[in-house]
Amino acid sequence: MGTVAVLAAAVSLLGGALRGSHARSALAAPPPSSAPALAREFATGDTAAVVAGLQQRLRQNPRDAAGWALLGFAYQQRARETGDPSYYPRSEGTLRRSLRLSPDNAVALGGLGSLALSRHRFREALVLGRRALRLQPSARSYGVVGDALLELGRYDRAFAAFDTMAQLKPNVSSYARISYARELLGRPQAAIAAMRLALDAAADQPEATAWTHVQLGKLYWSVGNVRAAGAQYARALAAFPGYPYAYDGLALVQASRGHLRAAIALETRAVDAIPLPQFVGQLGDLYRARGQVAPARRQYALIGAIQRLLVANGVRTDLETALFQVDHGIRLGQALTLARRARAARPSIDGDDVLAWALARNGRCDVALGYSRRALRLGTLDALKLFHRGMIERCLGRTASGDAVLRRALALNPHFSLLWAPVARQALR
Amino acid sequence: MRAVLGRRNVAVLGLALLGAMLALLMLRLGPGPSPADAASHREAPLIANDPPADITDFYMFRSTQAGHANKVDLIMDVIPFEEPSGGPNYYNFDPSVLYAFHVDNNKDGRAGDVTFELRFTSEIRGAVDSLGLPLAYVGGVPPATGSVIPPITSLDSPGLGLRQHYTLTMVKDGQRTEIAPMTDKIAVPSNVGPRTMPNYDGLAAQGMYDLGGGIKVFAGQRDDPFYIDLGAAFDTLNLRSPATDMISGFNVNTIALEVPASLLTRDHGSPTTTSQPVLGAYASTSRPRVTIRGKNRHDHGGWVQVQRLANPLVNELIIGTKDKDRWNSQEPQQESQFLDYYENPRLALAMSLVFGAPVPATPRHDLEGALLKYGPTDPRYSELLRLNVSSAPGASWPNGRRPTDDVVDTALQVVGGPAFAGVGDGVNANDKVIPNVFPFEASPWDGRNRVHVNP
Repeated sequence: MGTVAVLAAAVSLLGGALRGSHARSALAAPPPSSAPALAREFATGDTAAVVAGLQQRLRQNPRDAAGWALLGFAYQQRARETGDPSYYPRSEGTLRRSLRLSPDNAVALGGLGSLALSRHRFREALVLGRRALRLQPSARSYGVVGDALLELGRYDRAFAAFDTMAQLKPNVSSYARISYARELLGRPQAAIAAMRLALDAAADQPEATAWTHVQLGKLYWSVGNVRAAGAQYARALAAFPGYPYAYDGLALVQASRGHLRAAIALETRAVDAIPLPQFVGQLGDLYRARGQVAPARRQYALIGAIQRLLVANGVRTDLETALFQVDHGIRLGQALTLARRARAARPSIDGDDVLAWALARNGRCDVALGYSRRALRLGTLDALKLFHRGMIERCLGRTASGDAVLRRALALNPHFSLLWAPVARQALR
Repeated sequence: MRAVLGRRNVAVLGLALLGAMLALLMLRLGPGPSPADAASHREAPLIANDPPADITDFYMFRSTQAGHANKVDLIMDVIPFEEPSGGPNYYNFDPSVLYAFHVDNNKDGRAGDVTFELRFTSEIRGAVDSLGLPLAYVGGVPPATGSVIPPITSLDSPGLGLRQHYTLTMVKDGQRTEIAPMTDKIAVPSNVGPRTMPNYDGLAAQGMYDLGGGIKVFAGQRDDPFYIDLGAAFDTLNLRSPATDMISGFNVNTIALEVPASLLTRDHGSPTTTSQPVLGAYASTSRPRVTIRGKNRHDHGGWVQVQRLANPLVNELIIGTKDKDRWNSQEPQQESQFLDYYENPRLALAMSLVFGAPVPATPRHDLEGALLKYGPTDPRYSELLRLNVSSAPGASWPNGRRPTDDVVDTALQVVGGPAFAGVGDGVNANDKVIPNVFPFEASPWDGRNRVHVNP
């Protein structure tokens, strides 16, 4: 271990030591600037500079475990900013290197845990999160563990982890998780109340504020309150200009009012910022709704390429790919195989729901019903899951009960899906 | 400068470094999406700073103001590094945070004998922008534009688009007394600039309330009175003279409370008459405790302490990263579980490495005595800021703490031990003169003309 490392460590220790908040800012960019200013820098792509600085430092001292862990986090941040999944393997490499240099290293373990979550490798994330938790009983570690349990369908344990997290550290991260759990339990108003606490706790942090506004918007949207949803998306953009998730939400608001051209323009802005599969798919659906078949097909084709890129970088996309194919009638048999595999890896209510829908679209409505029941076992008020259930019941000849569920879905949110809300209305005619 | 290190020390330092750097990085790792974010898998923000609940400093002292020697002042500052030009919303207290001062007056380490709680609400009034969002502060719009908005010269001025009201409640002997009801106490807004707020000091003075019974309260923006040569400390403790106050030109949000000492002492005695003159105290911020299956409204199940602050620098210098969440959520009298940190302070190790000078041998019982005990015979450990109210008003930390106290120098000397006598960061006073009158912190820098230089 060279002198440089020792000095760097000692100095950073002191800096970090002298005053948490002040030190944070000062470390970022001398001369120190305010936390909001720093958060704004984030938007200007400053993480690239952080990456370059860390790389330089690690060239000088390749045995700097802390530096490698930080670089691993910085790569994850780059992935978030750019949508480029090739940062994931790079993040994994540096985090593992950090762990080799310093095995009892909760930071690197937590980083690997959040990386596994991003790659939808939830069992792996659970193991890593639990290891981090043993080393460091922090709110962050409970968050990783809870997120993993949730996606594995182990809701009681997941909720316990979230409750512990919020008890340990009530902040935007933990309130948002409480909100999500309440939403899953079919308590949208309670979810909104918790998300409002998250919003207060995100004050002075533009991106966190924007994220929270978008979550609130989605909650209002899920119960059919289009106006309130639109207002939240607008606030997100005011807090953090250019935020692609807000454009994505506003696109749906415009579409619900029949303004498809405006919706396409908004969704295009989201896709241009970060080409996430769900943005691209929604853009395709908007074109389709407007009768523009060729542009819709182009978007759909793009999704396949993006998914392949994600898979090549270690991301599991079976569930998303299966749902996309089933929704769009693409290779239904293969989609069912994918859905089975996805559900095995991810036995959550979403895994159950997608498998149920894939079975139904393959004509296996009898088997589908059981999975649809499981998908709704928490009492979640999710119009799309209810729609799937209604269609499965109708497919089984139980028209009356099927129609009742479809009516519930539409009553909950008349605009729940660009593709399927019109189908539900048609079916009820 | 040579330092001989065992492998273990290197590992310890490395991990400490990791924690410090992570705090920085997490600031940037906002709640972004991830490329593969499915609609179903929702990634909550990775981390969250919490500036409105982030207490930068806590002060408690016998008033040094002429004629106020029978008063004790309690001050907490929140929201670190307020950039004065940080519009359009500037800096506000958080309506869902409970801000509190806690006092122990019988030396049992439990600071529940007298508590003061502040809660804020935000009132949106006046102008809105094109998105329908309120404009926080406007004023001085000339008549020529057709929409005359006068400068903000009063806490009732129409240009105050966002206004925060607060309540102050005292809890003593199980009795809750609302000292300042919600309707008429207004937090002083951030100092936007001379066109909008041509007489800021006059405006701020309106927010310094005399509540009767010798009690005064102020909530609003001030210059951050903390001073430190942070850059020199980072540069391998490359201390210098003259040094630079790296926190010059930044503001904080302040809650200041002045009460008669007799309101705090066990026997209701004044500084000169009380037989129990030693108080312990800390400041805290709390957020609502919510559970997944709990109620959905704000009639929540109590509060979770997000941060506590008694003695300066304990959270940052003493407590290890891995225990910070838990440390903050605990009560001061539960400090014995963290004794290892006091007995083996990381700062001392770092100082000995950087300067090659000896530090006292571990375990360091001197730090426990200075920070956690009322006296050598006190059997309990409680992390409280202690003040002997019968001491002359000009005492300094750790006998209470005033905004003028040079706690960085004191901390370096105490932690370093005899070999570090006289060491310091070279910044010995705040960039703005700290007034010797309530609220004992200087007027904030204005958003238009702020500077971050301190010659």
